[in-house]
Amino acid sequence: MGMRAFKRSPWVLHYDASSCNGCDIEVVASLTPLYDVERLGVINTGNPKHADIFLVTGSVNAQNVKVLRTLYEQMPEPRVVVAVGICATSGCVFRECYNVMGGVDTVLPVDLYVPGCAARPESIIDGIVQAIGLLEKKRRYMRTMRGRMEEIVVGPATAIDAPEILALQKIVYQNEAEMYDDWTLTPLKQTLEEMRNDFADKVFIKAVVGGKIIGSVRGWMEGETAHLGRLIVHPYFWQRGLGTKLVTAIEARFPQAKRFETFTGQKSRHTMEPYQRLGYLPTRQEKVSEHRDRIYFSKEREAE
Amino acid sequence: MSAGETILVALIAIIAAPLVGGLLSGIDRKLSARMQSRWGPPLLQPFYDVAKLFQKETIVVRRSQNFYVYFFFAFMVFTTGLFFTGSDLLLTIFALTLAGIFLVLAAYKASSPYSFLGAERELLLMMAYEPMVLLTAVGMYLVTRSFIVVDVARSSVLLIQTLPGIFVGFVFILLFKLRKSPFDLSVSHHAHQEIVRGLTTEFTGPTLALIEIAHWYETAVVLGIVALFFAAVPWLAAVATAAVFFFLILVDNVFARVKWQLALGSAWIVALALGVGNILVVYFIR
Repeated sequence: MGMRAFKRSPWVLHYDASSCNGCDIEVVASLTPLYDVERLGVINTGNPKHADIFLVTGSVNAQNVKVLRTLYEQMPEPRVVVAVGICATSGCVFRECYNVMGGVDTVLPVDLYVPGCAARPESIIDGIVQAIGLLEKKRRYMRTMRGRMEEIVVGPATAIDAPEILALQKIVYQNEAEMYDDWTLTPLKQTLEEMRNDFADKVFIKAVVGGKIIGSVRGWMEGETAHLGRLIVHPYFWQRGLGTKLVTAIEARFPQAKRFETFTGQKSRHTMEPYQRLGYLPTRQEKVSEHRDRIYFSKEREAE
Repeated sequence: MSAGETILVALIAIIAAPLVGGLLSGIDRKLSARMQSRWGPPLLQPFYDVAKLFQKETIVVRRSQNFYVYFFFAFMVFTTGLFFTGSDLLLTIFALTLAGIFLVLAAYKASSPYSFLGAERELLLMMAYEPMVLLTAVGMYLVTRSFIVVDVARSSVLLIQTLPGIFVGFVFILLFKLRKSPFDLSVSHHAHQEIVRGLTTEFTGPTLALIEIAHWYETAVVLGIVALFFAAVPWLAAVATAAVFFFLILVDNVFARVKWQLALGSAWIVALALGVGNILVVYFIR
């Protein structure tokens, strides 16, 4: 039953991001006796913490970006975002308004688009049914990822890995951005081009499981000091000592270094912990933005 | 019953009660849908929901909030064991209340304004229904001269004959216990929305599943108490319990939610008029 549970019990959260209410009426219509979407086990929850599928209608404006993000962050994994109607898909005729961001995908990672103005109940139900399939797929992915700790291989990365490491970096720093409420973090904005250039002058370490990169760290030498940075681990693999493995691996790549330095945000415990466990000590703290401080850590290499 | 038999009965009850409760919850949803001229979800929908919830991520405001839910669940299992092994009715009722208190504590611990509101309303509802629950036990004692469930169940007297007022009063507060309209103020089933989700707002995944399963246990126990009123004639007990369950669903679909003042007031008036009134009559007539 567990295997099929997601297919049979999709709970929906419906949010109206400045829609004209046309699509919202159709979403509600799919719950009425005529369509009765509860046949499929759908419940319209109104609580993001209970929801599996996030139905968003209307173009997103500057006022509700924050609401949309909060709702999304509060939904437990696995979750699927469905943009309902053409406004949610692209912003439609409103996309060039001064206050409109555009479609939902300018703010959230959208999984499915349901076209139409207004989207018809039949297509909304079709969207939900496809979302159910995606939920199941995401759950399976979560499970395989979690159950394979012992198969993880840590080793050097090359420029071929750039796109995958960049994608992982964006996932992980999404969490950082939520924590500090600061969406201007440079790792979130890095382009593939910049990432490829990084490979020319930095050393990269990756952790791989089942052909997928789930962790990485990079470093470079300046004089006798090795600088380490961007220690990233996929959230499914936190709290399992993978960070420590990655840092140990990259230290070994700088045999000539006498000193190691790095920095993290003041609240980023999961990044701090591996370094502290390996004997890194905080040296100084520096303010970088309103909500974010940087703590610098360093460690002298023990004489052998 | 020997100790071995008691343990066996307790085990069977603890395994069977949530299955029955879950099935009843499925029947509830199906019947509700039919009353609204919808097709409704499959009969086993509550089980699918719980199976899914066990696979969702757990998000908490504070880790300790789930700790209280485990106690809620444990005491609900304990209550079920007590009741179906036929031990003390009063002890069963106190354990049931204690379980309810743990759920309220969990909601308080989650420290969100929505779950606070749910917790406060749940406390009000508990104040509303507790007197009637106790009067039910007192009434059963007056007739059968015992607080032990086994003795009440084996009594040759048909309790409903002497305790009609208490029976009606108990069915009335079942609307509170089973979270039905018009008294589903703190949290409700179905797609009704209160202020976000009342008591259960801050609970996700496996914890929410535990709350749901505990509620199935609760359903089994309170319907068991309904059956006690008809225990002298077993077939009548089954029919009457089913009829009461159907009646609760009907009321749920017919009424809108009331304000807490009316919920509290009406429950106490019912407890006073039907509960105390019935007890006085029995006391003086015998």
